[in-house]
Amino acid sequence: MTARLRVVVVDDTRLARQELRTLLGAHADVDLVGEADDVPSGRESVMRLRPELLLLDIQLPSGTGFDVLDGLDPVPLVVFTTAYDQYALRAFEANALDYLVKPVVPERLAAALDRVRARLAVTPPTLDDARATLGAEDQVFLREGERCWFVSLGEISRIVVDGNYARVWFRGERALLARSLSALEARLDPAMFVRANRNTLVNLRAVKSVDPWLNDGYLLKLKDGSEVEVSRRQARELRERLAL
Amino acid sequence: MKLESTTALRFWIVNAALWSLYIAFNLLLTATYVGWISGVVFISVVLGVGMFVVSGALRAVAQRQRWFDHGAAALTGRVVLGVLIGATLVQLLIAVALWPAMAWHWVELPGGKADYRPAAAFSYWVNTAIMLGLWAAGWVGAHALRRARHGEIGRLRAESAQRALELDALRARLNPHFIFNALNNLRALINEDTERAREMVTRLSNTLRHALEHSERELVPLAEELAVVEDYLAIEGVHYEQRLRLRIEVEAAARAALVPPMLLQLLVENAIKHGIARTPGGGELKYSARLVPGRLLLEVVSPGTLESNPARRGVGLDYLRARLARLPVAGRFELLADGDLVRACLEIPQ
Repeated sequence: MTARLRVVVVDDTRLARQELRTLLGAHADVDLVGEADDVPSGRESVMRLRPELLLLDIQLPSGTGFDVLDGLDPVPLVVFTTAYDQYALRAFEANALDYLVKPVVPERLAAALDRVRARLAVTPPTLDDARATLGAEDQVFLREGERCWFVSLGEISRIVVDGNYARVWFRGERALLARSLSALEARLDPAMFVRANRNTLVNLRAVKSVDPWLNDGYLLKLKDGSEVEVSRRQARELRERLAL
Repeated sequence: MKLESTTALRFWIVNAALWSLYIAFNLLLTATYVGWISGVVFISVVLGVGMFVVSGALRAVAQRQRWFDHGAAALTGRVVLGVLIGATLVQLLIAVALWPAMAWHWVELPGGKADYRPAAAFSYWVNTAIMLGLWAAGWVGAHALRRARHGEIGRLRAESAQRALELDALRARLNPHFIFNALNNLRALINEDTERAREMVTRLSNTLRHALEHSERELVPLAEELAVVEDYLAIEGVHYEQRLRLRIEVEAAARAALVPPMLLQLLVENAIKHGIARTPGGGELKYSARLVPGRLLLEVVSPGTLESNPARRGVGLDYLRARLARLPVAGRFELLADGDLVRACLEIPQ
């Protein structure tokens, strides 16, 4: 049996969704599992249906497509659809898996679906819906001012408390995530992210060296050049983790 | 103001350099042909300084009395008169300066006294007048050239501002977001309701044709403008479906009123873009036209809030305002927030 591709479409116009439904109907392995017409219903559909692919319109009544993605974990693969939005497209060209302009050309849709299948073949999604933690290949959507990124958790080097939010370091960039550190920690794989001190979560894959430090603690040097102190309290846990 | 003061400074520097050169040239001639005679040196210097002062005064008078605002003949007359008077003043200055200088033997001239026989005096005066005349011709020419260039720049600037406004309005009328959405909806509608799809092709053609053939006419009957708006709203109706609810209140008498083309259309487009499209569940778009004595009142009401940034309140509003100002009796435009509605009011004198 071939793998099915489960898709959710978010577009505020009924006929636009109808059109995508028609076009997707030509692809035998695609299941259109849900449709939504605005930001809240779009978020709800993604969280409930956990599709592999989201076809997402950029302009929606109560916000933008980016608002749908904010704070979703994991974020499915996203292909943006828009009638004409050069500005938003430019911001996303480097980051989104693909984008489609409406009216959608069937061949372009087929090419986008091929890219999705290729990506899924490399990083197959975990099919366990009930699973509580996110894996290294799961991606989150990060935004900082006008810029935004799809970042897989494996690319994040550390996460630091910043007020009520968390600041995330990745690929030499950083962005603010509207979630508390403890809420994040609960969703992250404990084999990958460890708490170094009260303020910081560190990705063990990003650690270059571990040196003894004051008060029986450690000093972690990360591959991105930054340094993180490990408190005595957390040092024991880290020792156990690294011994494994 | 700043520009004027730099221009003035430049003038005085150039003028001083020019007359210094003139003095130097005269001294060179004197030294070459008659040798260093203190009286001749004295006359040359006083002549140069006098020319410097008089030419500057001529310019000041010309500017104060706005000589350039009159015709070429009037300008020429004034300049010639100015030059003749200026030359006289310079010669008087020399005579007045030379008299004590000779009397107290500060300077010497060949023959022991200045040659002021009538023919000689006249020839001095003519020489001075010719030099000052040359100067005046040069100055008037430079000034006229600069004015022409400024006028040209001003004209081009006004022209490009007008073009920018027209482009703004054109972009609003050929809104690509609208066009591609309409085409996308058509693709779906062809499968769903062929008759309606065919009608929409006609409506879209009308809208595009109208946008491209942007009316050169200054005024069109409101009925014509309403037909454009109806086509446009029919297409948006397909896009927004039950989210776009229309209420149209047009007095029969108002339909014959004359309006600048595309203004009502612009307001309706903005009401959709900033109101209906951004309101979950959509809302009611109302447009009305009423004729009161002497004026046509157009109003477009839509859900939404007023953008705090005036620059983002809608495309084409600058064009709309410029267009209203160009009417024989200027029209009025107001955009106001009214609870959770935005009201655009247009007043066009009839």
